[in-house]
Order: sequence, then C-alpha cells, then structure tokens
Amino acid sequence: MAYLSTIDFFDDKNFLDRWRRNLKGELDLSWMHAKTEKLAATPENPRRGLTFRDLDKGTYGFTDLPEFERHNRSFAPRGAELPEGLPDLQPAVSQKGEVWAYNTEGYYEEAMTRQWNATLDVPWHDLAKTELPDEISRAYSQLLTFLTEVEMIATDVPAEWMGKLNNNFTEVKNFMATQVMDEARHAEVFRKRALTTGYGLMKASPQNEMSLKQIRDADSFAEMSLSLHLLGEGFVLTLFRFSEYISPTEADKKMFRLVMQDEARHVGYGVQHLKWVMRHFPEKREIIHKHLDEAENMVFGGGYALEVTEPFIILAGKGLKKENIEQGTKITAMFQLKQMEEYFERLDKCGLGERRKMSKLHNAMELTRASLQEAGVIR
Amino acid sequence: MAFYLEKDFFEDTDLFNMVQKVMSGELTLRWYEAKTEHLRVTPQNATRGLTYEDCNLGSYGYDRLPELIRNNYSMAPRGSELWGKLPDLGYTVNRKSEVWSENVAALYEEAKTRRWAPAVDVPWEDLTKTPPPEAVEAAMAQLCTFLQECAAVTMGISSHWIYSINQEFLELKSYLCAQILDQARHVEAFRKRVLVGGQGLKRASVTAEQALKEILSAETYTESSVAGNLMLGSFLLGLYCHLAAVAPSRTDLRLFRLVMQDAARLVAYGSGNVRYYLKHQSHQVGGLHDYLDTAEHCLLGLIGSPECLEPLLILSGGGTSQEQVQNGSRHISRFLRKTVSEYLERCEHAGLAGRTQRSRLPQYLQQLGI
Repeated sequence: MAYLSTIDFFDDKNFLDRWRRNLKGELDLSWMHAKTEKLAATPENPRRGLTFRDLDKGTYGFTDLPEFERHNRSFAPRGAELPEGLPDLQPAVSQKGEVWAYNTEGYYEEAMTRQWNATLDVPWHDLAKTELPDEISRAYSQLLTFLTEVEMIATDVPAEWMGKLNNNFTEVKNFMATQVMDEARHAEVFRKRALTTGYGLMKASPQNEMSLKQIRDADSFAEMSLSLHLLGEGFVLTLFRFSEYISPTEADKKMFRLVMQDEARHVGYGVQHLKWVMRHFPEKREIIHKHLDEAENMVFGGGYALEVTEPFIILAGKGLKKENIEQGTKITAMFQLKQMEEYFERLDKCGLGERRKMSKLHNAMELTRASLQEAGVIR
Repeated sequence: MAFYLEKDFFEDTDLFNMVQKVMSGELTLRWYEAKTEHLRVTPQNATRGLTYEDCNLGSYGYDRLPELIRNNYSMAPRGSELWGKLPDLGYTVNRKSEVWSENVAALYEEAKTRRWAPAVDVPWEDLTKTPPPEAVEAAMAQLCTFLQECAAVTMGISSHWIYSINQEFLELKSYLCAQILDQARHVEAFRKRVLVGGQGLKRASVTAEQALKEILSAETYTESSVAGNLMLGSFLLGLYCHLAAVAPSRTDLRLFRLVMQDAARLVAYGSGNVRYYLKHQSHQVGGLHDYLDTAEHCLLGLIGSPECLEPLLILSGGGTSQEQVQNGSRHISRFLRKTVSEYLERCEHAGLAGRTQRSRLPQYLQQLGI
C-alpha cells in the first residue's frame, strides 16, 4: 500500500465514541467557529450567472494568492481552516507563477458554457449520405487520423499535471479539467468523422508521434505549457482554421469551427501564462528561449510529417491532378507560413519579440515566405 | 528535459529535400494505400446522433479489443496502420479487464448530453432572497467544504490514471475525461454554494482527508476503481440523495439533484468495472476482498468525520435544538443503513460474493446502535 491513513477507523475507540455521542445529540460544533473569513459572493452580472470571478474576494480569491503556497499541501479548499494533521499530498507545483495565467477563471467559465457534444452537434446523418471522390476521402481520412493522434497527447498531458498541482490553484486545475474533456471530444469527433468517410483510419505518423512525445515527457509545468499550449496547440489552431477552409462539406466546416473554439481557449491560456511569467519573472527569459529551441524542433518535425502535409495538399487542391497539386502546394505553403507567423506574433505579445532573431523556425518561415514570393503567390 | 528528439529537424537535409520535393508537386503518397479496414459507420438512431456504440465495428470497435495489448504503446488511434518507429509512451495499464466496463461507452455519451454549468444552472439568487436559518447555513457551509475535499479526490483518481492507460482503451479514457470534468464541476459548485451563503468556508477535515489520501493512493487501477468509484462513489451518491431530500432551499435541491446524476455515473462505472474484471479474472476475487477488508475503514473515516457528520445531523433535523438534532439522528441512522447496504449490494452484484458477511461495516453500524 502506498499510503495508509494514520488512523484505523475500525479500531479507533475514540472515533467510535465520538460518533456515538454525535448520534445521541451531543455535538461539538467547533467547526462552526472556524477561523475563516465570512463573506457573501453575488453574481455581478445575473445573465452570466455566478462565476469564479465573483468569488475573487478576500482570502478566497485568486488575486491575493501568495506566490509560494507554504501552508496548504492537502485536499483542503483554498480559504478553509487548516487543522493540524492534514495529510501532505506532495504537490510538485506550489508556486503560483509556474501555473497562473491572466484570465484563467474566464477561460474556465467559457469552457463550461461552451461544452458541445460530438455525438449530436455534427450533422452525421447528412455526412453519411455524402459521397466524396476517392482521392478526397483518402486524403481526408489520413488528415483525420493525424488529428486523432495529436489530440490524444493533449488529453493525457494536462490530466497528468492536474494531479501534481497544489490544491490551492483551483481555477487552473478546473481549467485543465475542461481542456482534458475538450481534447477527448476532439479525438472522438475526428475518429467518428474518419469512420464515416467509408475509408476508416489510415496510417499513424512516426515522425509526428516522436515529436509529440516531447510534450508528454516535459519535466516541468512551464515546459509542458510552452510546448503544448503555446506551440503545439497554436500550430494546431491554425491547422483547424485552414482545415475548415479546405473542408469538403458544410458539416465538416461546422466540425472544425467547433474544435477551433476550444483550441483557441487552450492557446489563450498558454499565451496568458507566458505573459504572466514574463511580467513577474523576467529572469526566466533565457530558460524559456532554451526550451523554445527544442520545442520549435518538435513542431517543425511534427508539422512537416508527410502524413499531414500530403493529404493537406490534396484537400487544398481538391484532387490529385497536376493542377490540383499545384494549387494545393500553394495553399499548404501559405498555411505553413501562417502557422509560423501566428506563433511569432503570439511571442511578440508576450514580450518575447527577440525570439525572431535567434530562432531556427524563424529562418524556416523566411525561407517559406521567399519561395512563395518567388512563385508569385504572395507579395 | 526527459526526452530529446533523435534529430534536429532544422538541420535534417533528408527532411529538407523531402519537403522540397513534395512542395514541388512530387508526392510520395506512402499513406495512400494504408492497410486498414474500409468501412462506413452510420448513426443507428438519428435522434441520438452518432455514438461510440455506432462506431463499434470491425477492427475499429472495442468489442474486438484483445485482453492484453501487446502491439501498440504509441498514440496511434486504434485501427490505424502502425508502421515505422512509433514511440513507446510507457503505458503501465495494458489489460482490458483491469479498466473496462460494458457500460463505459454509454456512460461517456450520457456525461456529454447531461452536462451542466454551475454558473448558470443553479438558481443562486434564490439563496440570497430566502436564506436558510444561520445554523443551517453554517452546517451547509461545513458540509460543502467537506464535499470539495471529496470531489478533489474523485477528480484526482481519474487524472492520475489516464496518463498510464493504453490509448487503445479510447472509450474508457474518454469516459474518465468526462469524469474529471464532472468532478471539477463539483468542486466549483460546492465552492460557489459556500461563498454565496455568507458563512465562508469552514474547517478541513483531518480524519476525512486521511481516509481520502489512502483511497487516492491505491496501488493498482482496479483497487483505485473499487475504492474511488464503487465505495467512495456509493457514499457520495447516497449523501447527495439524502441532501436533496433535506435541502433547506430550492438552490440546494437543484444543486444536489444535479451532482447526484454525475455521481450515479461514477458508481455505475465502478460497479461495471469490478464486474468485468471479476468476470475475466475470477481468481482475483480474493485479492479484491483483501483490499476492501483494509480499505473499507476509509468509508467510516469519511462518514464519521465530525466535519461531515455534525453538519449532516443539523441539516437533516433542520437546526441545532435537542429535538432537531435527535430528529436528524434518526434520519442519519436510516441514511447510514441505506448507504452501507447499497454499497454492499453493489459489491455482491459486481461479483464480490459474500462481501456482506465479510465486511466489518454492518458490525460497526451495530456498535453504533444502528
């Protein structure tokens, strides 16, 4: 057994006696005088309901959370009285700055109100009647296989980290819980869509999977969040946007719009977390650059895997003929350029504008831009 | 960093040449003839949508999952073609009967359709218009402090295991994700309930937390599931039912009805999981009994904690006067009898034959005069 309670409740006579006294009507009621703050929260905006932001008051709030949580290492909710004897859960992360992001509570509430259902919210009946050309179906099924693969990692990783966070970080843990569910829903919807094409799933991508393993094996929450929320999901968000654009049917466009909403929240958290870190811990700048060097390698490797690039070209060009492929490669190059541009724009907003000068990914972006200019696709 | 990629892709000329070739229109199409099953799933019932049950076909279905997963330790979705050097993600739970339950796909679908949001689905304003008496409100604040501690553990159990479970068990992992969200919602709802009432949070419970840590620390998935889903879940389900019955306000009635739905899924999965496990590994019945012999005292640690029992007595009787507390005591005696007997019945139905005779819980209730 990994842990045994310090009390064996079957055999503890004091515990039994107290219970008996309670049932006879003798109450201790010392908890009624718990040394905690009395306050009443009310919804600021009745239409929005009672949000976590409405609870951001006094000792219960998140604004006044100390940077280092030195007292609560148990299951006790933030603001409760902590008696002697509470167990130590050995949280791996007890520093606010490691996990906090501006607007965490807002992302959580948004996630809760925008939950959707992959079983019902995509018009599967219409899709079942839709027959796509052979090459489009194959390409689409391959893209969906790739996406299912990607989503799996985004389910496991936040779940793993939730258990390592100090219980005082309620809003972050709850946000991570919504992300876990969002990603499960994404894996579900992409799998279901692949199975409605008539072609089923296609090939796994070793290059992509090896790259994603880096996120799974991150050593710290900060590393994980940079790799997952900012880079990985940032790139996937652009992929969803372009996938909506090249989707073969209206129902598919709807599916991508739904997953995009969720993904935008996850990226939003990543950006706001990095902003928080840069504002409160500017000394971490060098460490972040070091980590981004490797994380950019990860998205570059994963993003250029042929199991995503080639089907994307076919879908974007709407076929396998020479003219289709020509058109498809242009759109794909534009998409790849956009992925990188958006990433660097996000870093600019976080105060890491100098990244452009030291990043190999930035060189790749400039090469892509130059080749598109040479081909006359962009100015 | 614990893992570095084998290559610096920015310096990889093979990748660079390959990308150039592809972007100039020479596709490899190495994925085009994937050796996978071609089939088309359709919704069996249009109003219900496309469920995981509808997708339970051929090599993609969960019915065809083998008992032991030996060939896929990667993130490749079940049924896709596995080729090349896929990574080993270090899963430690690779046996179907350890995690599976026949109802898991249905429970996942139910969790999605019955989603709710505490911010808007509980009539919080009613509580400010007609607040319960002060002692009752204080009891509710204490109980909801305690319930947050419990929800943190039910959430923690699922989040702890997901990472270790093989991706082939997709429907089960998806259900666990839904369970994580359900429990996060409970943490939120109980916190909001306390802070709307004006009393603020009360005292964390040493005895309950000791019990909860023991439950969370179960060493195998099966032990974790039987303790967290079946045992703790049964207690929470019984408690929510009871609290809905004695709810001091419309707000509380609605709140406990909502959390009850979610807790019922927890128990349904826990019972189903034990049933499936023992059906496929009947020789493990003794081991599971042994584990429960040790772990069932945690149930006492929870129910008998003063931070749970005392507010429960006040809420059940409607106040703190001698008469009210004694009335509450009668209610609680019934609740305890019912909760323990329902839990034991579930164990028996799940295949833990003889649990009622073997468990020390009924005897403990007798010691309490129940």
